[in-house]
Amino acid sequence: MALIDVQKVVKQFRKGPETITPLQETDLQVEKGEFVSLMGASGSGKTTLLNLIAGIDRCTAGRIVVNGTDITTLSRSKLAQWRASNIGYIFQTHNLVPVLTAYENVELPLLLLPISRSERQKRVEIALRAVDLVDRANHYPRQLSGGQEQRVGIARAIVADPTVVVADEPTGSLDAETAEQILQLIIQLNSDLGTTLLLVTHDPDVAASAGRQLKLVHGKLVDDRRAQPTVSMRQEAM
Amino acid sequence: MFKFAPYVLKTLTRHRARTLLTVSGAAVSVFVYCFVLAVQEGLARLTTQDDSVLVVFQANKFCPATSHLPQDYEHAISKMPGVREVVPIQVFTNNCRASLDVVVFYGTHAEQVRKVRDFELVSGSWDEFESNQDTAIVGQALVERRSRKLGQELSVGRKLTIGDVTVTIAGIYTSENRAEEDYIYCHLDFLQRTRGTDLVGTVTQHEVFLDASADPQQVASALDLKFKSGQVQTDTRTKGVFQASSLQDLIQLIDLMRYLGFACLGLMTVLLATTTVMGVEDRIREHAVLQTIGVTGARVFRLVLSECVLVSFFGGLAGVLIAVVVLATSSLSVGAEAVSIAFAPSTSMATTGVLVSALIGIAAGIAPAWRAAQADIVNALRYAG
Ligand SMILES: Nc1ncnc2c1ncn2[C@@H]1O[C@H](COP(=O)(O)OP(=O)(O)OP(=O)(O)O)[C@@H](O)[C@H]1O
Ligand SMILES: [Mg+2]
Repeated sequence: MALIDVQKVVKQFRKGPETITPLQETDLQVEKGEFVSLMGASGSGKTTLLNLIAGIDRCTAGRIVVNGTDITTLSRSKLAQWRASNIGYIFQTHNLVPVLTAYENVELPLLLLPISRSERQKRVEIALRAVDLVDRANHYPRQLSGGQEQRVGIARAIVADPTVVVADEPTGSLDAETAEQILQLIIQLNSDLGTTLLLVTHDPDVAASAGRQLKLVHGKLVDDRRAQPTVSMRQEAM
Repeated sequence: MFKFAPYVLKTLTRHRARTLLTVSGAAVSVFVYCFVLAVQEGLARLTTQDDSVLVVFQANKFCPATSHLPQDYEHAISKMPGVREVVPIQVFTNNCRASLDVVVFYGTHAEQVRKVRDFELVSGSWDEFESNQDTAIVGQALVERRSRKLGQELSVGRKLTIGDVTVTIAGIYTSENRAEEDYIYCHLDFLQRTRGTDLVGTVTQHEVFLDASADPQQVASALDLKFKSGQVQTDTRTKGVFQASSLQDLIQLIDLMRYLGFACLGLMTVLLATTTVMGVEDRIREHAVLQTIGVTGARVFRLVLSECVLVSFFGGLAGVLIAVVVLATSSLSVGAEAVSIAFAPSTSMATTGVLVSALIGIAAGIAPAWRAAQADIVNALRYAG
């Protein structure tokens, strides 16, 4: 069974007499270790799909099974606990809690898991090293550049070693050079750590770096061609 | 939960001015509330005093200046069954009406004072007082208040003049009952003579101490009956009831003050709720990010609630401390008809103040915390994203 299994998912928004249906019986399967990019016109429902998979939104109909758990049936609090150990979410901007340092921001997800203090410290340091920000550990978000802030966000998304990392236009508000650095970092996560990655982007070049590229059109996923067999390559390397 | 303590503290210190203002508001409210509590407690101490003491007053007289009982009733009363001791008292006060600066002279047999009151001399000596007619022992609270008013330290050996009475201070005493510290105890003969020859042989009231087994009501009725056909009719009540009737006008005012205290607590609740709501609205996205990471709604609820309770608790604690310091150092009291209510700090006042602050923190925080916990994550992310 696929790591992520989205089955006939419908999402509707009601706005007065109008009903918007961004997702219409959408299906998607993602294998463990895959790097999937998701493109589509503005308003096509990319963020909506990502949020459903990340368990912060509820679908109108259909089933979403992640790593064997049907998350559409979980209670609100069970879903939150599930997110703590299964989802790393990278937002476009304002990822961080402003009153906490980079270190404390990265530590946040670990506070929710039964992990000892020393283990937490070890993991935060590894995550900060992975995004090359060890020297900024005690800086507050306002003392960081946009790119650095985004890197802290990435460190926080991976620190608990989640089942899936989702990223919604993570480079959308950065300049070209910084965006490229962040993208390389994300690609590295997938290739070095084998993290399953779901990335929403408007940039075809960014999308092209993913092993598998999807496009959301009229509530359906199309153009689902597998470019490079990322999974098997990685498996061979191991 | 404590893992998130740094987050809560940092959130509070981030908006330092806002937090400090709210803490101050809470402190002022709790200060006023404690003050009201202290006044009420002072009153309760006077009106619910030991039943085993009776006060014999002239019938149908209300002000100490108009009550005149024969001093020799003392002997008749002391022979009655159930009576342990009788203390004749001539009362002289500078102000019979309600006032914040009442000075009351109690003229009695000097050697009885030591026996029937729980006074401890902090300076001076009982012998000096008992052997010199024109001396007096003065309550510590009154000494402090008078010293402030006169601008000079009153101490043993100094003269103290109120109206046309001048005494030499032979001792300064403290008492468990702070209201007692507002009085001046002097010699009965001395006060009778200084106040005019017509007072010789008469006293304002007799204080009657009963045996433990005696029924106060019974003795009081028997006493009044005994003097019904006597020279002057009497009206005998327990000390608590007597003081309550002396303070009647003030009691109504103090009752009204209670609502003032409650109003302050109401204001404090609104203030805290406002600050907490503002904090929550500022952090709609932040809370959504936390929830995305996996923080449960229940935890967000607890986080917001603890912020509110912390502010309320520390504000309240500050208010209690200020109240204790002010009440302890100001020796304030209000009196009427020669009975004085002391405003003194107490353990029960302090505990009530702190407990009430914590409860108000919870009451004010529940609604905003609930709102933060129930907020829709996706909407909140779009809100400021
Ligand atoms: N809470 C909501 N209420 C009503 N409509 C909504 C709500 N959230 C999303 N929508 C609608 O659902 C559709 C899909 O939105 P979504 O944010 O998923 O698009 P998107 O593909 O991420 O767009 P973009 O590329 O601009 O980020 C849009 O038409 C949007 O207006
Ligand atoms: Mg979007």
